[in-house]
Amino acid sequence: MITLGSQGENTFLEAVNKKSGANVLDCYQCGKCVGTCPVSQYMDFPPREIMQMIKLGLRNESYMANSHWFCLTCSACSGRCPREIDIPAVMEAVRHLAIEENYINDSKKVKEIRKFHEIFLDMIKRYGRNYELRMMAEFNIRTRNLFKDMHLAPKALLKGKIPLGVKPLKSAKAIKRMYAIAEKLEKNN
Amino acid sequence: MKKLTYFPGCSAHGTSEEFDSTLKLVLKTLDVELEDIPDWNCCGATSAHVMTENLAYALPMRNLVLAEKLENTTMGIACASCYQRMKVTKVHMDENPELAKRINSTVVEEGTYQGKVDVKSMLQYFYEDIGVETIREKVIKPLTGLKVACYYGCLLTRPKKITNFDSPEYPVSMDQICEALGVTATEFDYKTECCGASFSISNTEVVLNLSGKILEMAKESGAHAIVVACPLCQSNLDMRQPDIEKQQGVKYDIPVFYITQLMALAFGNPVDQLKFPKHIVPVEGALANIGKVAPEPEKVKKPIKAVEAESEVK
Repeated sequence: MITLGSQGENTFLEAVNKKSGANVLDCYQCGKCVGTCPVSQYMDFPPREIMQMIKLGLRNESYMANSHWFCLTCSACSGRCPREIDIPAVMEAVRHLAIEENYINDSKKVKEIRKFHEIFLDMIKRYGRNYELRMMAEFNIRTRNLFKDMHLAPKALLKGKIPLGVKPLKSAKAIKRMYAIAEKLEKNN
Repeated sequence: MKKLTYFPGCSAHGTSEEFDSTLKLVLKTLDVELEDIPDWNCCGATSAHVMTENLAYALPMRNLVLAEKLENTTMGIACASCYQRMKVTKVHMDENPELAKRINSTVVEEGTYQGKVDVKSMLQYFYEDIGVETIREKVIKPLTGLKVACYYGCLLTRPKKITNFDSPEYPVSMDQICEALGVTATEFDYKTECCGASFSISNTEVVLNLSGKILEMAKESGAHAIVVACPLCQSNLDMRQPDIEKQQGVKYDIPVFYITQLMALAFGNPVDQLKFPKHIVPVEGALANIGKVAPEPEKVKKPIKAVEAESEVK
């Protein structure tokens, strides 16, 4: 039997609340977030349903949903939420927990979104700054879609819209060390 | 002369170089001296906060710590995403000293975070620190006749408890600056709708749909151009515009300016310094409206359904 509001037993709800700083139990399911969200039509479960799933302790289903990967953190929902819940923080908490607990959604779209973020972080680790052209190239290579956006390339490159190189940080080592320490902190949490 | 600590952000050296260079022209006119944060690093937006909490705070924190070493206590940020990450980090660190201590352990050599630097977007700096009246005084060549839709995007005003600036639903700061330049700002309902942001590369379909709606509404508002203060918004609305037009089968042909480009133009800077050739959608058509006397506004016709509904009531 599922009992609503049994905070003590719902460890998933507890973990999400702790990580996000929000109280998901505040949600009274009005659905304003769904009407507001610019990407709710792409989500397996729109924000309102995710909130309810957390309340019900549906850990696997929440982790495996694409919803938290599609959230753009635009904060339109939280601005209109009558209960003033920080919904993007809840989405982020679910995503971080899913990553930490090695849940992998292998739908094509989620895989591409995740790959993009991984490549972006890799660029910063290597150069301390984003190297736009290389990032786009690596994304195409690693998602096996070599010709994506190639029609934009001639104009963008010719106009100098996307520069060919990047000026790396002088203290690039500081960033590499930061990554290493942050990773350790992540494990200790 | 005022001083301002400056965080350009990665895109200032790439896709939004025209924002960075026109910003510098504008600040010269406004008598503000910029001081770059020495050896600044990427703020991590948006990928760091998507993937991991610690790195999402650590990357901006290094910049905040470096900025504290400079004399000036206000940091101006050109890119809206960088602004958001920097401000979120500042607010959360100031609220939670324990978290600040933990994150500070990732910044080994640069020093201890003290929280003494204020973080502002350049739009906020223009509006609060310079003021609309000062901007009006510096206008040499009013851009009368040009009608624009001011598009703020998500990150400059939201979430309110982080940014503490303007309205999260219907902001007006950029509209007021535009009006000081002689530009007419249209009534535009999609001011803070999301453009699709970082999905530009990884989930282009979403960007085409969301940005498409913004272009459609801007055109419908009667604007000749869109004005932005965010590199990601600019690139989604400008660079992706041909793709959107192809997908929707509509020709928008609506250029997307940075607010600083229009300011620099109104402040009398020569056109060849404003980097207009970098735009994918040509700007000449929109700029041709400058100096034209606007025709009397047409009377707004009520939609047929509303007229029918009214007659039924009678």
